[in-house]
Amino acid sequence: MDRRTITIPAVFALGFAALMAADLKLQNAAATDQATAMVEAPKFEVDPMFPKPLPNGWLMGMAIGIAVDAEDHIWVVHRPDTVSANEAAADQTPPIAQCCRRAPPVLQFDQGGNLISAWGGQGQGFEWPESNHGLFVDHKGVVWIGGNGAKDAHVLKFTQDGKFIAQYGRMGQSGGSNDTTNFGRVAKIFVDPRENEAYLADGYGNKRVAVIDADTGAFKRYWGAYGNKPDDTNIGPYDPDAPPAQQFRTPVHCSDLSVDGLVYVCDRPNNRLQVFQRDGTFVKEAFIAKRTLGDGAIWDVAFSRDPQQKYLYVADGKNQRIYILLRETLEVLSTFGDGGRQPGQFFAVHSIVTDSRGHLFTTETYEGRRLQRFVFKGVTRVPRDQGVVWPK
Amino acid sequence: MEKLHFPVLAVLFAGGLTVFGAATLADEPLTGPAPPRSEAVQAPPVQVDPLWPRPLPNHWILGSVTGVAVDGRGHVFVAHRGAASLNARTEIGLVASPPSAEYCCAPAPQVLEFDPDGTLVNHWGGPGDGYQWPQNPGGIAVDPSGAVWITAAGAPAAPAGRGGQAGPAAVPPPQDAHVLKFSREGKFLLQIGRAGTVGAGDSTTALNRPAGIDVDAVANEVYVADAGSRRVVVFDATTGAYQRHWGAYGTAPDAAAPAPYDPAAPAAKQFRTVSCVVVSRDRRVYVCDRDSNRIQVFRTDGTYVSEAVISKDTLGSGSVWDVALSADAGQQQVYVANGQEQTVHVLRRDTLAEVGRIGSGGRWPGHFYAVGSVAVDARGHLFTGEALEGKRVQRFAIK
Repeated sequence: MDRRTITIPAVFALGFAALMAADLKLQNAAATDQATAMVEAPKFEVDPMFPKPLPNGWLMGMAIGIAVDAEDHIWVVHRPDTVSANEAAADQTPPIAQCCRRAPPVLQFDQGGNLISAWGGQGQGFEWPESNHGLFVDHKGVVWIGGNGAKDAHVLKFTQDGKFIAQYGRMGQSGGSNDTTNFGRVAKIFVDPRENEAYLADGYGNKRVAVIDADTGAFKRYWGAYGNKPDDTNIGPYDPDAPPAQQFRTPVHCSDLSVDGLVYVCDRPNNRLQVFQRDGTFVKEAFIAKRTLGDGAIWDVAFSRDPQQKYLYVADGKNQRIYILLRETLEVLSTFGDGGRQPGQFFAVHSIVTDSRGHLFTTETYEGRRLQRFVFKGVTRVPRDQGVVWPK
Repeated sequence: MEKLHFPVLAVLFAGGLTVFGAATLADEPLTGPAPPRSEAVQAPPVQVDPLWPRPLPNHWILGSVTGVAVDGRGHVFVAHRGAASLNARTEIGLVASPPSAEYCCAPAPQVLEFDPDGTLVNHWGGPGDGYQWPQNPGGIAVDPSGAVWITAAGAPAAPAGRGGQAGPAAVPPPQDAHVLKFSREGKFLLQIGRAGTVGAGDSTTALNRPAGIDVDAVANEVYVADAGSRRVVVFDATTGAYQRHWGAYGTAPDAAAPAPYDPAAPAAKQFRTVSCVVVSRDRRVYVCDRDSNRIQVFRTDGTYVSEAVISKDTLGSGSVWDVALSADAGQQQVYVANGQEQTVHVLRRDTLAEVGRIGSGGRWPGHFYAVGSVAVDARGHLFTGEALEGKRVQRFAIK
């Protein structure tokens, strides 16, 4: 591999020693051929030409939510207001340039990567979030949106053409992690079709998973780390050498439900996944890239599309890669991706989702600001670190 | 729901590639008149190579790219701002103290050399004995001897780093005001000007945040776009001895800055921001007056020949950031990197009339943000560098 032929400067040597040690810890003896460091796992390949260019000179800002609907359309929510005036030059008065403009916050793409609808923003009868965050299309086709702005304490439901349906919680009204009326800067939504309940990763302010009725918004239940009652006491920054925190650290960044009824919660700055039953009973946890500081390593999850959802994909927007886990054991089998602005590279890969054929879609926040498509190439022998997965 | 207007660009891209010809204009449905164009002369069609260059080793990432150049072997040299342009908290966790990431990322060295296939074959850059490494590099050029020239283009009040890298008591480093010459391998050869010794427009020794640079091998002279002093300055490429300089229209540069660009006002008699200088095979000197949206053309002695306004209504940072000439014997095309409009204009060199555009705004392959550098290899392939948050090098293959 190219990277082994380049001299590694001394300044990085320590970092690499730590990296190799971390890699060793992640070894999965059962599934890994130690001699070749190959493993059987899903293989992906980036589609560098997806999506098609946006119309109207539109640009995406920080892209902080993604979902796939029943028709395999890909839905993205981003933050138009994060596109600088310099870049949204055509939106200025007078225009600085003919290009470019801020795209509406909700974008729908078909499988060909064509943008087929775009909507979102302030409207009558609801409070559009200060800072969009998280999008889900449920089994009834309803589009859910959260928000992580300082005052965002609500989630919104829309039809697929952007008509307002309902708002649960009120902006500025968050009463903390034990409030059963409002939320605290919701990061992501996942609707359980069997029970018709919405699981809210709540969030950037609160330290809990909150479950509501998907039709009425009626509050059902909530819980914190290990199923504990959430406590908003500031527990300080994450310390990799300290015992695991008994509370989630904000943001609680995902709460997605598997086909066998397990809730996977992204405890982002704690670098851990916690797994629960639907009722909030703690099942198990797993740590990934445990020495990651700051933004943390566990940003979002998605499931493989085999009937059993054998694999769990985890987005790490700090280390700029995707982990492939065996869902049953939560062992990391393989990873792909690396830092950069080219296809298959990431800056702050934030949200991931799979479509019905198992293809993986990613969005990037901060200055990444892309939607990318990774083609599922089947389960096969792959390196444990697949690096940047380019077409051959 | 918003109505979707797909510009011509999107239609062409639907085949999977950015291909541009004479009759296309990315943003026509939006605003503004079409720029002047000749239907008789076609821009060479190009398509983006989304998988060039190869991924960097060591989880290195590019900062804001300030210069791209191609040498005689088809190797591509890139200068970028490195850590100073990368977010210390979110993006380069491997070099934080303690490291905040386990896997990625670290800033790449500021000078990178890629072979024609896009594999990184060498890297260097940074402080060393006998020279002053720039706060921020600017343009880069490789002369026929293989020497690499880099300008020191940092702004007067350049922060020492984003995301908390600057120390609380940091003394501002001396302002960039110089040009450096290295061997291909990064061995220091020559410095012209001194950091902190900022020259006025008539100085024969001092520069002021020089931006673009090019070497005239015939006369063994190096041409410097001395942005801060609104002039072109020429030095001996071996000794660094001053030769001559000139301002807009070949006049003496004036210390007073012109008023901000106004498309309705008469053309400024002075350069606003001289961001590039390129010498053609037939010994014409092409100068980017970035904020004035114009190219001025001179003889090598500074005699004014002609000018052309590109994208006249562009405000902000202007439309003419860098220029490269096509690879054919007659260098019949001029490529203009327009980092404000997020496109590369293609001009006929004889008339400087626009015949096409390459690219539009965005983060995907063939899109641009702040495309500020452009270079052409011997086969005619086009290489672009993106500044600000673009942070990429892209290759456009000529078809």
